[in-house]
Amino acid sequence: MDSMVNQKTVLAVTDDVVLPVSSVLTVMEQLGKERFDPLIITQASTINQFPLDSSSVDAVLAISKTSDFPSDKICGEFSRILKPGGTVFVCKNLEGQLEDMQQTIQKRVTLAGFLEPQCVDLKSIKLSTFSLSFGIKAKKPSWKIGSSFALKKPAKVLLKVNLDDDLDLIDEDSLLTEEDLKKPQLPVASGCATTKKACKNCVCGRAEIEEKAVKLGLTDDQIENPQSACGSCGLGDAFRCGTCPYKGLPAFKLGEKVTLSRNFLEADI
Amino acid sequence: MTMGEKPKKKLLVLYASQTGNALDAAERIGREAERRGCPASIVSTDEFDASYLPHEEAVVFVVSTTGQGDSPDSFKAFWKFLLQKKLEKDWLQGVRFAVFGLGDSGYQKYNFVAKKLDKRLSGLGATTIIEKGLGDDQHPSGYEGTLDPWMLSLWSTLYQINPKYFPKGPDVKISQDDLIDQPKYRILYHKQDKLESTLLTDSDIIQRARGMSPGKLYKDKSKPDCFLKMTRNEVLTKAGSTKDVRHFEFQSVSSTIEYEVGDVVELLPSQNPSAIDAFIERCDLDPESFIIVGPRETENSGVNEEMVTQLPIKLKTFVELTMDVTSASPRRYFFEVMSFYATAEHEKERLQYFASTEGREDLYNYNQKESRSILEVLEDFPSVQIPFEWLVQLVPPLKPRAFSISSSPLAHPDQVHLTVSIVSWITPYKRTRKGLCSSWLASLTPEEEVHIPVWFHKGSLPAPSQSLPLILVGPGTGCAPFRGFIAERSVQAQSSPVAPVMFFFGCRNKDTDFLYRDFWESHTREGGMLSEEMGGGFYTAFSRDQPKKVYVQHKIREMSKKVWDLLCGGAAVYVAGSSTKMPSDIMSALEEIVSEETGRSKEDASQCLKGLEKKGRYNVEAWS
Repeated sequence: MDSMVNQKTVLAVTDDVVLPVSSVLTVMEQLGKERFDPLIITQASTINQFPLDSSSVDAVLAISKTSDFPSDKICGEFSRILKPGGTVFVCKNLEGQLEDMQQTIQKRVTLAGFLEPQCVDLKSIKLSTFSLSFGIKAKKPSWKIGSSFALKKPAKVLLKVNLDDDLDLIDEDSLLTEEDLKKPQLPVASGCATTKKACKNCVCGRAEIEEKAVKLGLTDDQIENPQSACGSCGLGDAFRCGTCPYKGLPAFKLGEKVTLSRNFLEADI
Repeated sequence: MTMGEKPKKKLLVLYASQTGNALDAAERIGREAERRGCPASIVSTDEFDASYLPHEEAVVFVVSTTGQGDSPDSFKAFWKFLLQKKLEKDWLQGVRFAVFGLGDSGYQKYNFVAKKLDKRLSGLGATTIIEKGLGDDQHPSGYEGTLDPWMLSLWSTLYQINPKYFPKGPDVKISQDDLIDQPKYRILYHKQDKLESTLLTDSDIIQRARGMSPGKLYKDKSKPDCFLKMTRNEVLTKAGSTKDVRHFEFQSVSSTIEYEVGDVVELLPSQNPSAIDAFIERCDLDPESFIIVGPRETENSGVNEEMVTQLPIKLKTFVELTMDVTSASPRRYFFEVMSFYATAEHEKERLQYFASTEGREDLYNYNQKESRSILEVLEDFPSVQIPFEWLVQLVPPLKPRAFSISSSPLAHPDQVHLTVSIVSWITPYKRTRKGLCSSWLASLTPEEEVHIPVWFHKGSLPAPSQSLPLILVGPGTGCAPFRGFIAERSVQAQSSPVAPVMFFFGCRNKDTDFLYRDFWESHTREGGMLSEEMGGGFYTAFSRDQPKKVYVQHKIREMSKKVWDLLCGGAAVYVAGSSTKMPSDIMSALEEIVSEETGRSKEDASQCLKGLEKKGRYNVEAWS
């Protein structure tokens, strides 16, 4: 199928119902692509997705008389079907404030990821059914961003989905309701003890405050000669109640001095 | 099974776990189902073919959401399959399901993965058994606070739908004195004279030990990619800083090092030898015995023939390499099993209390919030003697720690550099805890020539080609991968032109934690890629040098025109760092810039940036 491989493709798109082939060919001459065989899609605003493979088209011509076409979504489609380095050419026939229109279309095209937008004056081109005022030409980026890499795959490749091709997927954000998108309510903390310690990557300063407050809060006597009314303090943290003064210290025998624990991951203070 | 007898009702529990929490929850659900007489299979979503879902009768999904709202890696392919437009609205008709999510309500995207999954499954025609349960880290007892009541509701509803699910009834009273579960692993002990005489390499030993380990998340990573030795250990932060950030350099001692800038390296940390000895003594084990660890036969699995041909390993080595004894905390189930093996009455009572619904919050305070280690817990309950089979199953697996590489293969051939912040924090009970891996690395010296097993893999930052203009945002240790990017590009610049780079760096104080200052500044001088005249820039935000906090996003906003120009020129944005809020702050700042410069709404700007993400022009590596 060598001839297929070498054939260049041009897609002409319009939101109008009718578009003469000669108009398309004339515009294509402008781009220097007159030897190509164009595909034409009319009433393009009604289509969600063009029936073309990704990165299959060398150039896209969008010809229209209305200000809304092509929409952001359609621009996105153009980006998809164009080969890297391919050209998009949006041709307009509009009355009135051309400056603003030109800016708007340029921005729309840039937002969709195209580069180097240029404005071309088309008033001189003669078409059979209507005339053109200006056109915006832009390119799809052609470099590869780094090397491609696969997601970590399990030993057996079970799913036959092409992981790079996310166009046949529904928009997952559409699965969320208004309610879901609101900031969640934090659960009420029980008691006066805070529910969370300072984050490991604390940036607000709470971690330092906690670090400074290392003082045990025990009297010398409590360390030298520990007693326990409830009898559980000496058993270690697992048995101590929430208000025990010995919290954080190792287990001890009543009456014997409390020693430092053999905590292997204790930082040197 | 006699003729005409329908197969027993069973439950499939599909989990998507990143750090092991969802796995624990899934195992708990499976256990509770089995106790009621319903066999359960617990399978990770990356080991289950989604196209088989319509054949299942009852499925429970247990899925985690990360702070950014992302799904676990093991969920991504499965989820993409479910999102396909071609799946019909009745594809899952006849399938009953329930979703339990693990998340943190401190984040905007709270439990997004579970919420989306629940909706999509319904949209595909499956029937909910009960409403989704949303576990919350912010809850006083963590996700278990929601899981317990949710599970009870699940069992009673499932029983109402069909009593055959639970031949033993939906409510099971566990006698406190019987442990009705069996350990999932068994240990074969070998006589020493049956051993091979050849000396094993370090690599073989690690592969053998980790291959046997139950650490399910790491099945494909038994053999290290290579071994590194440290050649440099330099403190980057100056006196007066509250942090200790190191620059480490490594060389290979085994095979050649192969990676690209922006990649991630995982290191297996060594555990404190005294702690290992203490653990082995405490558990009454023989460190010199040789063992093989394998799954125990069940009615589902049959005899495990693999175990017979596997080669043994020293018990002490197995513990050192695969069982995390001093850092990770045990789960609630560990306390349950401990209660059975406690001989002192007060210990038994306390452990039963911790394992119960009433004691859940106290357990969370004692265990998770204090980051209690296995060794500490065992020392707090001295009368407990747990058989080794149970320890193998319940002691958290020793996990490798991942770091973004801060060197470039071009600029630093045969080397790996890391930028590591030494982790330490204070618990609510005022105990100081350190990070296992970072502290161990900080303590190493090149003279010791310790061999470190490592694995390389891709992170979220694809290596950029030299002609790609870059906008880099890397506050704190987030600057690490960009040091690699810039070093690489400066070598490339020697032979052909390179595109400019705008780099935004942030830290607390210019004088104390301005990491790699000289390096960045050297590239801002004449002709450097960070210089103004080459179209680049280097921008710093020192958050605490003035009364008002200044962060990288403020600097980005200051440079909005230039950022926008570079974006129009095709630039790619890379964001890296250790804060969980920072990436979304950067995204907001960029949305504002796009919105301002184009005159479009914030929603449109947001769509534009999402489009960039899909095309690989917006990449984020965020670690916590």
